[in-house]
Amino acid sequence: MQSINSEEYNNIDINTCDSICMAIPSKPEYVGVVRLTVSAIANRMGFNIEEIEDIKVAVAEACTNAIKHGLNQDFRVNFDIFEDKMAIRIKDEGKGYKMDELNEPDLLNPREEGGLGIFIIKSLMDEVHLTSNVGLGTEIKMIKFLGEGN
Amino acid sequence: MSVFIDSSFDETKKKWNLKLKGEIDIYSSNVFKEQLQKIYSSENVEDIYIDASELEYIDSTGLGVLIGGLKRLKQKDKDIYIYNTKPHVKKIFNITGLDKIFKLEG
Repeated sequence: MQSINSEEYNNIDINTCDSICMAIPSKPEYVGVVRLTVSAIANRMGFNIEEIEDIKVAVAEACTNAIKHGLNQDFRVNFDIFEDKMAIRIKDEGKGYKMDELNEPDLLNPREEGGLGIFIIKSLMDEVHLTSNVGLGTEIKMIKFLGEGN
Repeated sequence: MSVFIDSSFDETKKKWNLKLKGEIDIYSSNVFKEQLQKIYSSENVEDIYIDASELEYIDSTGLGVLIGGLKRLKQKDKDIYIYNTKPHVKKIFNITGLDKIFKLEG
C-alpha cells in the first residue's frame, strides 16, 4: 500500500472541502437534531469545547429564525468542511425581509421578540453574511476558523 | 430538548424559587413562559430567584421569555435574580448585555 508522503499531503488544495447537506422540517423539535449534528462535525474537525459550544448556539439561533419566518417549509442546512474552517449555510424559503429594516437590538432596553438571535450569531462566529429578499427567503452564512481560540 | 422546572413559593421570605433543569430553546420555551405567567398572574407577585446550576442551554427565545417576565415583574417593583449559571450560559447573558438587566449572582 502506498502512503501519501507529507509533502503531498501538505499540497492538498486548502479549498477542497467536504459538504454535508440536510433538509430540515420547519418544526421546533428538530433544532436539537441540527445542534447535535453540528457539534459532532465540529468535534471531528478538532474545534475545542468552547468553540463547539459557540457554533452550536449560533447554528441553533439561525435554525430558530428559519423556523419562525420559514412559512412551514423545510429549510436547508449545509456544512462545508475545510481544513482551516467550517462554513455553515442555513437557507429558508420563507417570507424574508428588507435588509435595511434589520435593526441592531437595543441592549439596554431589550424587546421580547427578535433581534437577539442575529446579534448572538454575529458575536460568536468569525464571519457572518446575511442575505434576505422579501418573498424569497433568507440565507445566513457563517464561518468559524479552526485554531483561532487555541 | 426539554426543560424541567421546579417552582416553589417561600412564604417567609416572600419569594419564588425556580430551578431550571435542561435546555430552553424554541421547542421548550413555552413551558418556561407558562411557568412565569402562573407567577405573575398569581396573588403572590414577588421576586423570582432562578437556580440555573442545571440549565445547560438557553437561546434567544428563552431570553425573550425572561425579558417578558422581567417587564411584568418590574411593573410591581419586583426583580428576577439568576444564580449559579454555567459559564457557557453566562456567556450568552454577557454578549447580549442582559447581565446588566438581570441580577446575576454566583
